[in-house]
Amino acid sequence: MATSEFLHPSLAFIIVALILPGLPRAGAGRRLARYLPLLPPALAVYAAFANVPGTYATVHWLGQTLTLGRLDAMSGLFIQVFAIMSLAGIIFALHVEDRWQQVAALFYVAGAMGCVLAGDFISLFLFWEIMAVGSTFLVLAGRSRESVLAGFRYFLFHVLGGLFLLAGLVWRYKATQSFAFEAALPFGQPWGGAPYDWLILLGFCVNAAVVPLHAWLPDAYPRGTVTGSVFMCAFTTKTAVYVLMRGFYGWEVLAVAGTVMAVYGVLYASMENNARRILAYHIVSQVGYMVAGIGVGAAMTINGAAAHAYAHILYKGLLFMSVGAVLFSTGTARLDELGGLAGRLPWVMVLYMVAALSISGLPVFNGFISKTMTIAGAAQEHRTWIALGLEVAAVGTFVSVGLKLPYFAFWGGKPLDMKRELRPIPANMYAGMALLAGLCVAQGLYPDLLYRCLPIPMTEANHNLYQPWTAWNVLQALMLLGFAGLAFYFMRGVIRPHAGLNLDFDWFYRLAGRGLLALICRPAAWFDSIWGNVYRSLGLAGLKLFAAFTVFFDKSVIDGVVDNSACGVRGLGRLGAVLQSGRLQQYLAMMVTFIVVILALIWYLG
Amino acid sequence: MSEHDISEAGAFSGPAVKPGPRSPGAFGAWLEERRRPEERRFWRLFFFGLLGLVLLLSLLAPNHHPHFVVDAYPAFWPVFGLGVGLLMVFFVKKIVQPLIKRPEDYYGDL
Repeated sequence: MATSEFLHPSLAFIIVALILPGLPRAGAGRRLARYLPLLPPALAVYAAFANVPGTYATVHWLGQTLTLGRLDAMSGLFIQVFAIMSLAGIIFALHVEDRWQQVAALFYVAGAMGCVLAGDFISLFLFWEIMAVGSTFLVLAGRSRESVLAGFRYFLFHVLGGLFLLAGLVWRYKATQSFAFEAALPFGQPWGGAPYDWLILLGFCVNAAVVPLHAWLPDAYPRGTVTGSVFMCAFTTKTAVYVLMRGFYGWEVLAVAGTVMAVYGVLYASMENNARRILAYHIVSQVGYMVAGIGVGAAMTINGAAAHAYAHILYKGLLFMSVGAVLFSTGTARLDELGGLAGRLPWVMVLYMVAALSISGLPVFNGFISKTMTIAGAAQEHRTWIALGLEVAAVGTFVSVGLKLPYFAFWGGKPLDMKRELRPIPANMYAGMALLAGLCVAQGLYPDLLYRCLPIPMTEANHNLYQPWTAWNVLQALMLLGFAGLAFYFMRGVIRPHAGLNLDFDWFYRLAGRGLLALICRPAAWFDSIWGNVYRSLGLAGLKLFAAFTVFFDKSVIDGVVDNSACGVRGLGRLGAVLQSGRLQQYLAMMVTFIVVILALIWYLG
Repeated sequence: MSEHDISEAGAFSGPAVKPGPRSPGAFGAWLEERRRPEERRFWRLFFFGLLGLVLLLSLLAPNHHPHFVVDAYPAFWPVFGLGVGLLMVFFVKKIVQPLIKRPEDYYGDL
């Protein structure tokens, strides 16, 4: 994968993920296993700045030419922020003893980076599935009934999304004889596109959490581990944003869908009680800004979407980290059970507020320089309703994440809670949060840090010059957010969260799932009962006869000759028992292993 | 602590649970000081003063590059922020949530 001038960032992640489980569990090996995961992100950060744009790592496989390293301004931007986020995430997770979580996280990040650098649909699909499996393990690692069930649902839904993508790309190959991953349509044909393009789009939209395909996200992310959700919130949806930007910019349907997402996520976040689920709904909302920007497809909105993806990864990672720190320390993320904590977790509160003001788009923080660019771009293209919808979502964002969540988590009108047992938060968690908080503020103050990496150069000719720090922009943000804050002040009694579940589209998913299950189970049960009768009347009698014969044969002929075979059979039985343990995570791991082995065989023999 | 909290508390791994310090640190104590009733009055005045200042500025500095026609009017954005905030919270909490709210273990996942 690596040539002399190009280091594929996924490579180190995969290598470390493979050797990590084999390291000794005590002494130097244990220390090595703790700090080794820092190496791949560090290398990736280096590679993000050292690699020169170009097309690298082309592999000939199955008669196709796969491009594993398409590096240009667009993919380079995403690789850069993925590298930084993975570094912060690994630092945040340094204290975690569960080695499998690190392995899953490393594979997951490798998959995300592989997707971004993939120049063709085959390698994109492979890395896409690695990402799905890696993230499923991060949900399963919660190791409670709740997270295992959520992980199973999560995996089913992503397999479905992957199948849309697979069907689309195979169909597309039949039609065009090409797996190259390029823009599906030239710009300006909003409702064109062949059926296979729409299938691929559907697959991408599952991962981008486009409403109504979004419900997997608020279902699974609040149920991952504290550290696992930090990884998940950054990579899956933003990889989808990247592939949409690459393949489907200017599709009108995305402009509308994105605006719907932005508002929809905010509405659900306003009524949710679980702090991590509030943040999960805000991923839907913020990704909506990016999808809308991609859908509008102008130079400024595409840049705005890319800038917002970068900024969003930093502040959303920080949001999940700081709320995760509250969960780690108190044991709950339910707002109705929190409150009165500002005095006991003051630095967590400050770090949370940096992220919350960033997502709200307050000047000084990085949301201000990225969100406003998308809105200004949409307005410049005379997409009034889209721009206004995004402004509505901005108000809701500040009310729910900027004010409601911290108010009820850290104050809530309750006195300082000195009775609660708090688990001390390790220094590495603070270090990971501080890194992201520093970057959020740095980007807000020096927008050029981000703007100079944007996919479309900001020039007069491209009509995408944008200056966030003007007196009017600052005043507009203060007016909008200040008076949204006043609305919260008046409504703080009404918005107080209570325990409960809010129905979402996963109600329909579960209905479909149960229907499918019944469709398969009923005939299967019917066949099983018939088979049971046949077996009892015929098979069992035959078996008894056969058993009597073998006993006779065994006693008179074989005894003493091949005693060893018994051991062999017993061993085989044990292996079978392990293979059929009924544990989903083992099936998943086995499936991946088999796929890798089969693919390696095909490559070797073909 | 309810049963759900225990399952959620189990959602992370790490060193065994040790109770943290029982007194807020210096910064935490300073933050708590700010919540005293007489200081609250000050902060309320401070923030309302800020809002008043912003409103005044919005009247003095009309938008010369309106995007949506209506935003050329002075005080459009304060009205928009306040109105959308109030309507959204009311709509969501008083109209939508009563329709779609269910018990926490509605699906039997917990």
